[in-house]
Amino acid sequence: MAEYSRLASGQTVARGVDGQAAGQTAVVIPFLPDFIEIYNRTRAVAGAGVTRAWWVKDMGQGSAFLDTFGTGEQFIAPVGGTSSGALVSGTGFSTIQAGLSLQYGPTFLLGGAGGIAKTSATQLTVTTTANHNLTTGDWVTFQNLYQTSTTGMQQIAGIPFLVTVTGATTFTISWVGNSSNLTAITTGGLNGLASFKKILYPVLYAPHVAYPWKIDIGTTTTIHTTAPHNYVVGQQVGFRIPAPYGMTNLNELPNTTLPGFPIYYYVTAVTDSTTFVINVDSTLFTPFTVNNTFLSFPGLKFAEVVAAGDVNTGGWPYNGGDLYPSPRFFNGFTSSTTVGVSTINGPAIYGAFSNATFMGFIIGSGVGGTTGDVIYWRAYMHDINYP
Amino acid sequence: MSITTTGNLGPMILQSLAPAMLYVPTPTMNYITVCDKVSMPTHGGTTCRFMRPRALQPPTIQLGNSGIDPPAQVPQRDIIDAQMAFFGTGCIINEQVILQDQEGVLAWVSERLAVAMRQAEDLILRDYIVSAASTINAGGGSNADNPTNLGVSDFSLVATTLDTNNAYKFMSGIEGMDRFGTGPVRSAYFMLSSTELQSDFDGLTGSGFLSQWNYPTNASALPAEYGSVYNIRILTSSEAPVARGVSANGQDVYYNTVVGKQAVTHINQDGYSMNLIYRDPYYSGMLAQNATLAVKFAQAQAITQDTAIRNLLSTRLASLVI
Repeated sequence: MAEYSRLASGQTVARGVDGQAAGQTAVVIPFLPDFIEIYNRTRAVAGAGVTRAWWVKDMGQGSAFLDTFGTGEQFIAPVGGTSSGALVSGTGFSTIQAGLSLQYGPTFLLGGAGGIAKTSATQLTVTTTANHNLTTGDWVTFQNLYQTSTTGMQQIAGIPFLVTVTGATTFTISWVGNSSNLTAITTGGLNGLASFKKILYPVLYAPHVAYPWKIDIGTTTTIHTTAPHNYVVGQQVGFRIPAPYGMTNLNELPNTTLPGFPIYYYVTAVTDSTTFVINVDSTLFTPFTVNNTFLSFPGLKFAEVVAAGDVNTGGWPYNGGDLYPSPRFFNGFTSSTTVGVSTINGPAIYGAFSNATFMGFIIGSGVGGTTGDVIYWRAYMHDINYP
Repeated sequence: MSITTTGNLGPMILQSLAPAMLYVPTPTMNYITVCDKVSMPTHGGTTCRFMRPRALQPPTIQLGNSGIDPPAQVPQRDIIDAQMAFFGTGCIINEQVILQDQEGVLAWVSERLAVAMRQAEDLILRDYIVSAASTINAGGGSNADNPTNLGVSDFSLVATTLDTNNAYKFMSGIEGMDRFGTGPVRSAYFMLSSTELQSDFDGLTGSGFLSQWNYPTNASALPAEYGSVYNIRILTSSEAPVARGVSANGQDVYYNTVVGKQAVTHINQDGYSMNLIYRDPYYSGMLAQNATLAVKFAQAQAITQDTAIRNLLSTRLASLVI
């Protein structure tokens, strides 16, 4: 009998940084499986790595059995358990229900060897003492970025950032890293408390508020955001730029030419998940700056851009799959900056407010192979389980 | 003498079920309260579309005596789209449960499903507002965090912002009365806050906060209303959004949603919303063993006036100890 069971199969591509071991790869299905099995075609052809892995619910979240080419079967235990050989516990499979926002991972202290370096005009580089276990495309937010009681980077604490992983203990974020009012964090910050949290489900509804860190002035205006904006061409957006950030000219209000009515702009091009162009000549605008003083951080308002509507009449464009695709968003579960993850709720107008909640399972870094690997998967939810 | 006790002649049935079920702790659901309501028509596609005309330029330039008409204006409009989504949950109940259990399982499971459905409706709105509405970090408090705890200046700032944005207030004021300990209440926006902030609100008594109990009359106060500060009336709920440990100093961040009329719209699907579905065991397998009880509904939501809503983010004055 299989009256209430659920069966699903499909294929996915291991997510992460090109040429490196894959990070976490999410698979969206309309139920919570109690059995998962994957076959890694790329690893089998290469004759190296995890070619097959499987999981049953009773093993616990984060665990897995795996078959590594030339090694044979091994076991990854849940966090805190004992795994085979040098395998890292908790890096197997887990199920996921992304339905409620404002959920975060544990506080991750940068540690004594950790810090944040002022890399360049476009980047800050975060170094952790222990492996950060992040994947490119994850979102994080920082806390306690004191170097001394009066210096550090508290100006960026609380802002969501997209992560680009550059190594097991390093990643970069987009910001004006050479701002004179930022002081590099070293030795884990004041009292070793400098830390970040991973934002578990950063995009459950889209489009949403985004945080500009750089605005290029010109006959059109290019906005760079700290994390994916999820806007599309034709999106109507409004700005709230507090005075310390300079370019208040962009603000919705006040409107000196039509008092009381908000000023909106349209997105004319989307360069990537964190960059878009709007239809305003900002040549004579006050330059945008994020160089706020450290001591101004208590109560510091952030510069924001919000979706206010759209001018589109058609649905999402055909991309080789469904004729009428669901909206696609950069939801923290893709390493791509150009192709988002499809939602599960059918076609919608391009730029509409959409629900992006989902459930499914995560293929962990211990079984996910190498970035770009082709993985076939099966997932079951059985009628009955005898624990 | 032999005394017969319950030790040697105990009751054959030891337990008796109390006549009423115990209450189920359930948060106050405030978000649906402040939403406009729109029904998406059946056969109307996947996406609900709103249209707002843009204001026309007031003709402040005099015509003069030339007899020439000024340039014509081109009316324009803004469009907001929201995609419908469907939700549901249910229970599969074996007939033996229904047959043998002493209390009305189907009745109370139906009730719980209905409450779950209503709570989902509210939580979806809550999380959507967290996602889509812009924020103001509180800076009027004294705890040197970002955001700070709430100071009365934060209430003033956010009300000033909404007023400047020409938002519509929800409530007209309450005129003062000759009643000891009461004071007049201003016309107000609503602020949806966490119950965890109530002690901070109490701390503002005397410097702007007026408890709901100190209103001249409670006639217009909502059940969840805790009080008011200046032009803001505060509704509290234990399910109001809190981002744990993510302030600049690692404290909890509270999303206090300050909202005017028409800022958020809740969209239901005409002819579909709030279905409670009971399927007799007859419809299960060949032996008709399992009944099902389920709920499903459709919902979309949109910020229909982005200038009339702000999430006032704050921390607390002191760590919460419960």
